[in-house]
Amino acid sequence: MKQSTTTYIAHLFSVSLLLFLAATSVAQDSTEAPVVRKVRPVKNTFGGVYFMDNQTTMVPIKGSMQMEIQHRFGVVTNGSKDLYGIFAPANIRLGMSYVPIKNLFIDAGIVKEKMQVDLDAKYAIMQETPGKYPVSISAFGNVVIDTRNKSNFLYAVNRFSYFSELMVARKVTETFSAQVCGSLAWMNNVEGYVDTEGKIQPKMKNYQFDVSLLGRYRISPKSSVIAGYEQPLTQHPTNNPHPNICFGFETITSSHTFQVFAGNYYSIIPQNNSFYNQNDYTKGQFLIGFNITRLWNF
Amino acid sequence: MKVYKILLPLLFVVAVGFKYRQTDPWPVPDNYLKMANPLKGDAASVADGKQLWMQHCTSCHGKTGKGDGPKAAQLKTLPHDLSKADIQGQPDGSFFYKTSEGRNDMPSFKKKIPEKEDIWSLVNYIRTLKK
Repeated sequence: MKQSTTTYIAHLFSVSLLLFLAATSVAQDSTEAPVVRKVRPVKNTFGGVYFMDNQTTMVPIKGSMQMEIQHRFGVVTNGSKDLYGIFAPANIRLGMSYVPIKNLFIDAGIVKEKMQVDLDAKYAIMQETPGKYPVSISAFGNVVIDTRNKSNFLYAVNRFSYFSELMVARKVTETFSAQVCGSLAWMNNVEGYVDTEGKIQPKMKNYQFDVSLLGRYRISPKSSVIAGYEQPLTQHPTNNPHPNICFGFETITSSHTFQVFAGNYYSIIPQNNSFYNQNDYTKGQFLIGFNITRLWNF
Repeated sequence: MKVYKILLPLLFVVAVGFKYRQTDPWPVPDNYLKMANPLKGDAASVADGKQLWMQHCTSCHGKTGKGDGPKAAQLKTLPHDLSKADIQGQPDGSFFYKTSEGRNDMPSFKKKIPEKEDIWSLVNYIRTLKK
């Protein structure tokens, strides 16, 4: 009897031990340690460095080289006469850019309008990172040289103009990103007129402040609808520039960004747009434009 | 007889072309074969991988990984059907190696996707293509 009790206890202990081990093993399987991922800056806030007539906060990875082709057709208001501006004289920019060090983007281009040469730089000051930085901030600046014949200028410095911009962007949701920008444009040379007293008066101030708001909504992993608005702030004696409304479609591939859009800005150089845009959206003076970029990684 | 004169060279061209488009074995170094996937089973990583897949891979591999992307026809080497069991049977490290290093038509992505974590995310998404 004693032996059978001992055997019974031994069996009970063995079964309990087995059940405990099995339960522990099941518990281990079902509570697999979660993967701890390094906190990294948010990706794909925008598809490329350009956003129609603006820059984005994005700077490609170090060693990236990019070719840029930008085109602005004529305004659509002539209708079928020039196929809604497509056969009208167009403005073109060809550019090349490079990222020599992390977060610094340098760019150079030539533009048909006034045969301008632009030298640009953009630096990503801060990149939106969960739990660290709520937004991405980048600064952009350029120097533009008007290379037309010297008979167009009184002094060589009149050829130069400058543009600087601070951009703040956030990827609000997985599909929607927004950016706010403030910019200052400077023209060394502005037109003047002779007043009734025979004095030369400037038609415009030499500087121009603007603010702009941009939004991108992703409709698929590669395609987005894009829209933007830019408001000039500075009041000039004459020729006040008009705001810009732009909207379009963007698609990206591994190496390319394509943007096709409609907007009021004809110039591709930002300070020219800020100062001289006379296309009025209330009169339907929109034009079609596109930006194409090709990226290589070295 | 005339028919043979036309058909035989045609068959030869097709046969050579077919052989040319066959894929050679792609050896993977041992250290990659044994490499552990640090993001295995991470749902967020699969979502990241999907974005990378759609941007960088679909033009050749197609949306579902069957090798039927719009650029596939121009390639010298046909992309494998990544949904098939024999391909999915490869270890994660093999996909990591092939994506990072590339070969012939398959470009190296280690410069375009510089962070290893992103390549592992891509590997995790490729796993979801399994039939």
